[in-house]
Amino acid sequence: MKTDHQTAAPTEAPAKPSWLKVTYDQKKVDKMTHLLSGLKLNTVCAEANCPNLGECFGSGSASFIILGPNCTRACRFCDIPHGHPKDVDLLEPLRVAQATKKLGLTHVVVTSVDRDDLPDLGADQFVRTIKAIKELNPKTSIEVLTPDFQGREDCLDKVIAAGPDVFNHNMETVRRITPKVRNRATYDTSLHVLKYVKEHAPKTMYVKTGIMLGLGEKDEEVYQLMDDLRAIDVDFLTIGQYVQPGPKNYTLREWVPMKRYQEYYKQAMKRGFKFVASSPLVRSSYKAKEELEAVENK
Amino acid sequence: MIKEVHMPKLSPKSNEYFFGKWDKQPGDKVKTGDVLFEVETEKAISQVESQEDGILKAQEVATGDTTKVGDLVATIEV
Repeated sequence: MKTDHQTAAPTEAPAKPSWLKVTYDQKKVDKMTHLLSGLKLNTVCAEANCPNLGECFGSGSASFIILGPNCTRACRFCDIPHGHPKDVDLLEPLRVAQATKKLGLTHVVVTSVDRDDLPDLGADQFVRTIKAIKELNPKTSIEVLTPDFQGREDCLDKVIAAGPDVFNHNMETVRRITPKVRNRATYDTSLHVLKYVKEHAPKTMYVKTGIMLGLGEKDEEVYQLMDDLRAIDVDFLTIGQYVQPGPKNYTLREWVPMKRYQEYYKQAMKRGFKFVASSPLVRSSYKAKEELEAVENK
Repeated sequence: MIKEVHMPKLSPKSNEYFFGKWDKQPGDKVKTGDVLFEVETEKAISQVESQEDGILKAQEVATGDTTKVGDLVATIEV
């Protein structure tokens, strides 16, 4: 007879490793939460239940998620609600710009849910948001983390023309695992997005991508991904640990040991990325400001 | 004066967490910013810092307990 242990659902995650410890200062987080909810803004920090929320909110930094809160795709790794999207809020760009000013952000990250329901797939709202931030915060650098826009070049052209400092689009994982965790997104479409942006953006705009580890990827698959990215001259790479948001999400395969992050860092730097962040708690917008500063001060 | 420590909202999406462990014991001096205890949420192990200077008077929960946001966790004599 099978024991309870043997019949336990495979979704039961292994115990969390000690490096997943984060600090939490309630007063600072409450202050930030209050400010953000007063402006009716969503952050990817809260929507995706980010483990770094305490640290980032504590230091007055946040990543805004526009066009939400509901996403038209249901990727299996993601914690952002999938559901019927809402009307585009034309005042949202101004509120993001106001929040950037109120928080005194010198670098701001703007991302969005997928909006396959809109004729422009959400590109125009990115443009409006970038413009509003620039108008109220001329010294703040802007990083966008965009959907794949179904690979549509007209959408990419619009966002490029708005002139963010960093254009980020996440590959999320290696080629083999992509169809298992991403919904309506393909490895080749995402590569095309990055390639197109690199080819059509001014030289001063950095192109960035990020992946998660712990989905069952092998070393050689990660190195192949790095080679694919360098072949199209992607500048920045972030590598962090996948944390399964809930029992229905893609099952966590492994808490990847620190030494593998270090090895991937070395391998990525050797391949010529301008900046690599590789550590379990790295997320695509985590310490994005420090990343940009590090490259610009070189 | 006795100050109560309540479970903060550590994760935007849930109100119930597993209590991890205590970093301070009754009678220990605590300062603002010291880690008081650890709590396991869906995506992290959160180290909760003290908001007071004083002496930890009593622990009201133990490792493995399920605690809700707002539950009394400890008292601190300030």
